[in-house]
Amino acid sequence: METCQSGLTYLFAKEAGASNPLASSNLAVSANVYLCYNICMDEIEKLKKEISQLKIINDNKSDIISITAHQLRTSLSAMKWIFKMFMEEDVGKLTSEQNELMQKAYVSNERMLALVNDLLTLSHSEDASVTYNFKKLNILHIIEQIMFEFFGETNKKGIELIFLPPEGSSFPANCDEEMLRVVVQNLIENAIKYSDKGGKIFVSLRQKDGNNIIAVHDLGIGIDDSDKDSIFKKFFRAKNAQEKDAVGSGLGLFTTKSIVEKHGGKIWFENALGGGTTFLVSLPIAK
Amino acid sequence: MKKILIIEDDSFLQDLEVEKLEKNGFELITASTGKEALEKINEPDISLFVLDLTLPDTDGFEILKKIKGTETIKKIPVIVFSNMSEEKYKKEAMELGAIEFMIKSNFTLDELVDKIKTILK
Repeated sequence: METCQSGLTYLFAKEAGASNPLASSNLAVSANVYLCYNICMDEIEKLKKEISQLKIINDNKSDIISITAHQLRTSLSAMKWIFKMFMEEDVGKLTSEQNELMQKAYVSNERMLALVNDLLTLSHSEDASVTYNFKKLNILHIIEQIMFEFFGETNKKGIELIFLPPEGSSFPANCDEEMLRVVVQNLIENAIKYSDKGGKIFVSLRQKDGNNIIAVHDLGIGIDDSDKDSIFKKFFRAKNAQEKDAVGSGLGLFTTKSIVEKHGGKIWFENALGGGTTFLVSLPIAK
Repeated sequence: MKKILIIEDDSFLQDLEVEKLEKNGFELITASTGKEALEKINEPDISLFVLDLTLPDTDGFEILKKIKGTETIKKIPVIVFSNMSEEKYKKEAMELGAIEFMIKSNFTLDELVDKIKTILK
């Protein structure tokens, strides 16, 4: 812009018959540059104010979601505990019909809880500019820790959770630890959800073509060919998934994909119907 | 009989927790605010604390810091029992010395009882 303005000023000065158009234009150039500078600075200040206001609005939105989710969870926790107390017959014997209704109420409440949890995670994951805290981390340590946390649940459900030892011990990636945990946890939770008692889940980590590849393989219900294009869509739940587990919001894989992509990675799956599914996540190796 | 202090501001949840734990043979004392909690944490013979993180006048982390910074009670196990599920809260609670971090909506009261029994075994 400065060069263009300088040229024009020189031409105007020459056209006007100035004795030394170059000298005249230099003074005018300085004035123009100064003017441009001021305009730019004003615009930058305006943008800074707008960014600051947007950040406040975004923070308020996050606070509202977090507080609302917390309040909803409190009420839903109370209902969960009460339904369970009835089902366990803590407060007296139930008829089989009453028990059946309580079970339905319990499952319905669990669905609502799953929805609240997933909406909260989704809101958090979409808040990339504000909340992601990228650091160079060894994802091997994060996965090992998550595996450890899941052993109690899988033991209780009679499912074997196996971590296949990787080659090497360094798997650096630039990631937000909390959000990466959501990714791995969601994949393992799904694998548990859609596995039968006595099933096995294999988790592995390797490096290929500049990426860390996390794989979670189960021997569960698999994904039907007709569902494969929809599996990462918001609120989508495959028919066989609904039959196997009524609790689920259809936001888990959508959120997982969104988080992986914010890390510059990819997520996909490979499966054989009836023979289980492998979900794979690639995350670039950090230099 | 093992004595447990439940620090929980929601009276409805507190009642349910008390009912369940009493049925399982524990003696219960309760606190609904941070102030009340700070007055009761030094009561004699407490075997375990169940601590909520959101209290009306302070946050649970302050209570946890106080417990872990008081020589006479710092070894008493603290279960953080909250619906604040973000990983950062879990990390902070564990770093401050909580023995367990349980998200209320993910557990039934029977599972809380089992956890307490395992810790106090």
